[in-house]
Amino acid sequence: MVVESENKEEYMLLEKKLIEKILDTALETGADFSEVFIENRNASVLQSVSGRLEKSNNSKSFGVGVRIAKKTQSVYAYTNSKNPDDLIKLARDLSKSFSDEVKTKRTPLMELEVGKKHQVKIKPSEVALKDKVKLLKQSYKAASSYDEVIKQVMVYLMDDEQVVLIANSEGRFVTETRVRVRMMTSAIASDNGMMQTGSSGDGSGKGYEFFDEMDIDGHGEEAARIAKTMLYADDCPSGVMPVIINNAFGGVIFHEACGHSLEATSVAKNASVFSGKKGTKIAADIVTAIDDGTIENGWGSANYDDEGYPQQRRILIKDGVLNSYMIDKINARRMNEEPTGSSRRQNYKFSPTSRMSNTFIDNGDSTLEEIIKNTEYGLFAKKLGGGSVNPGNGDFNFSVMEGYMIRDGKIAEPVKGAALVGNGGDILHKIDMIANNLERQRGMCGSASGSIPADVGQPSIRVQAITVGGKKKGAK
Amino acid sequence: MNIEKLFNKASEKGITDIQIYLSDKTHLSIEIFEGDIDKYEISDTSSLIIRGIYNNKMGTFVTEVLDDEIIDEVIDTIIASAKEIDSLDDAIIYEGDKEYKKLDDIFNEDLEKLDVKKKIQTLKDMDKFLHEYDERMSVVETMYSENTNKVVLKNSKGLDLENVANSAYMGGSVIVKDETDQRVGFDVLISNDFNDFDIKKIAQGIADDALAALGAKPVPSDAYEIVFSNGALATLFSAFQNIFSADAVQKNTSLLKGKLDQKIGSDLVTIVDDPFMKKSARSRSFDDEGVATAYKELIKDGVLKTYLHNLVTAKKDGVSSTGNGFGGSVSAVNLKMESGSSKLDDMIQSMEEGIFITDVQGAHAGANAVSGDFSLQAMGYYVKNGKKVRPVALITVAGNFIDMLKDITMVGNDGKLSYYGVTTPSVKIKSMPVSGS
Repeated sequence: MVVESENKEEYMLLEKKLIEKILDTALETGADFSEVFIENRNASVLQSVSGRLEKSNNSKSFGVGVRIAKKTQSVYAYTNSKNPDDLIKLARDLSKSFSDEVKTKRTPLMELEVGKKHQVKIKPSEVALKDKVKLLKQSYKAASSYDEVIKQVMVYLMDDEQVVLIANSEGRFVTETRVRVRMMTSAIASDNGMMQTGSSGDGSGKGYEFFDEMDIDGHGEEAARIAKTMLYADDCPSGVMPVIINNAFGGVIFHEACGHSLEATSVAKNASVFSGKKGTKIAADIVTAIDDGTIENGWGSANYDDEGYPQQRRILIKDGVLNSYMIDKINARRMNEEPTGSSRRQNYKFSPTSRMSNTFIDNGDSTLEEIIKNTEYGLFAKKLGGGSVNPGNGDFNFSVMEGYMIRDGKIAEPVKGAALVGNGGDILHKIDMIANNLERQRGMCGSASGSIPADVGQPSIRVQAITVGGKKKGAK
Repeated sequence: MNIEKLFNKASEKGITDIQIYLSDKTHLSIEIFEGDIDKYEISDTSSLIIRGIYNNKMGTFVTEVLDDEIIDEVIDTIIASAKEIDSLDDAIIYEGDKEYKKLDDIFNEDLEKLDVKKKIQTLKDMDKFLHEYDERMSVVETMYSENTNKVVLKNSKGLDLENVANSAYMGGSVIVKDETDQRVGFDVLISNDFNDFDIKKIAQGIADDALAALGAKPVPSDAYEIVFSNGALATLFSAFQNIFSADAVQKNTSLLKGKLDQKIGSDLVTIVDDPFMKKSARSRSFDDEGVATAYKELIKDGVLKTYLHNLVTAKKDGVSSTGNGFGGSVSAVNLKMESGSSKLDDMIQSMEEGIFITDVQGAHAGANAVSGDFSLQAMGYYVKNGKKVRPVALITVAGNFIDMLKDITMVGNDGKLSYYGVTTPSVKIKSMPVSGS
């Protein structure tokens, strides 16, 4: 990993000596662990409305987070001061949370390790604004010319370049640059006083070279197509029925129904329906689910987690059996387990905790066509919106952006406004068919340590029975 | 950053007007888990938003690096942005109003000065109270969060404004368990006066709600009379705030387009934006553009009276800004649905067969602010002949926000400022589709 000859100066956001002094100061009152997280970040958000660039917002952030722990108690402080006196004072103020003498000797910092796995060809800072605007206009054109019912198109282009430097009292000393780019198009279709929306887009842990491979026109048209389809769709019926959840963003069902409840944040506190369930069957035999933070240039990937340890590939569920949780350092102590490189945070303003990275259900051996053919009546959730879960009892919900009724094994009329609700402990047992068309899709996940990029994913799956909530009274 | 130097350099490079918005924040948050401090967080941060007009277009730069050495980068980036912006909107930097209302209760020095040990002890007392409250109490967390935000707004037209506000919330979250079920409870109380934190009252509310929900099951799918609790309505209402924005109206993304002075809700519905509301940390005497904020009725007795404007949307419509230019767009300060005269108990008793909904979930995805449609996960109680019969969970309630405003038949006298920053009473709705078993 470490290249000897390279210039590491650019990563030294603070002097090594100062970092060591902060780590030492933090240990003065008997804590057994101290950590410094330093972040330097440049981001840009462009927004076009009706094809015209309306907003070009650039931002620059810098901040330092200090964390101190004693057994399972941890305290956190952050600032955007670079001033050595301010930083030492911050560590000292924070250390007052404990009142003992020095108990733990700090391990000297190792030689700075630079994460190199997710290489970027074209950094956002190297792209002229003019060229970014061209991308926006291309997507606008594709969406707005799709159909005359498309009355408004908004396109967002975001890029983000984050440098992190992480050091701790156990000698870890690592750095990496994380680049992310994303473009989203949102279309509004309107007719007869009714309005509906559709959106589509993609993103990556690559640089601007990503837009050469992204089907920009395709996503623009897709946003418009969904908006138009939903404009003329019926209200979704309500009731309990079989639901086929399509691949890619459909994976949000696993993310909500199960993923969050496998994060140590809730598991360690016995506040998850899956606490104490390791090694037991929590899903149907055909379900294998993975959280992989190592996928090259993945949206939710990184070289290191936000505690400075290598990201990993975790098999969460193997053939229906709970195999691994996602565990951060402090919760590992509570659970008597090893951390799994899962600690993440939005930025220095958040203390890190266990979070998902790129999470997906693995391929099965059916095809989508077979699944539809085998379903007499039900809902085909072709595109999902977002959702949420309460890990305390596993109850979850998510919304369907584009849905169709299934009748006699065939896709029938489009329906709008459907929400799906269920319980995570229950739903995983009800997955009875899994297709072989696994795809992942980009999302933003909001939880205890802020909003972070995370992939969701799955092949198309069928859930035997789930509560579908729409505006129309249920009738076949 | 030396602001004078920034303004001078900007002027030299051809920026005609420039404005800075400096925000200094301090923050404290504490969580107690099973009697011990589980989270303790302190911070002190500053950020600067710089907006500059070049060729009648506005460029924006946000920075947490406040050194003079980035001044050139800031100005060059603003100019580069302005050159690419081809929106037809005007760019306006404001010379200021004659008068700004003095708000005397948005900053409470005593809150900051109160010893942190007292704050921790109060949380620990609440933790103990909750643990001893009922033997089915399984997991308890209590939390306190305090924020102080000082804002300075200066521009090249001579405007120089300052605002300091602080606020805190205290609350808890619990998991209760019996042999067959597991339920959660959560609530916080928001205030900048520590004396308002009656922990027994907050804790009791959280515990009672969670315990009463044990054994909750869906109801058969059908249309039911609905009463939303004040908290449940807040979640729903906050998802549709943007419909009042003139920016959304002008961009054809608001359902309220063309509805000014029309009746869009029941007679019982009055919705205001009150930027001077007591004890709200959001209360402000000026918006992010430097315009004096004002109290206004958005809907009066069911009739839409005005949209919310910033400088740009106001100019387009030939009206004055309503002082709602926030975050580069338009939003309300303290949106409030006025309380009515009904008691919650009377509203529940008035239902022949209905659902009293105490909580809705998933509004960020399941509520579409453009179409007005929503379908959300809900929980609460099944009500028959005016009596709460049993707890209900894993149902959805669906509708359209505008239709719902028309179908409001009773409004509670229990308006409450929610976590989402909106104030809502409980309301009764004629009928809504519910999906369950």
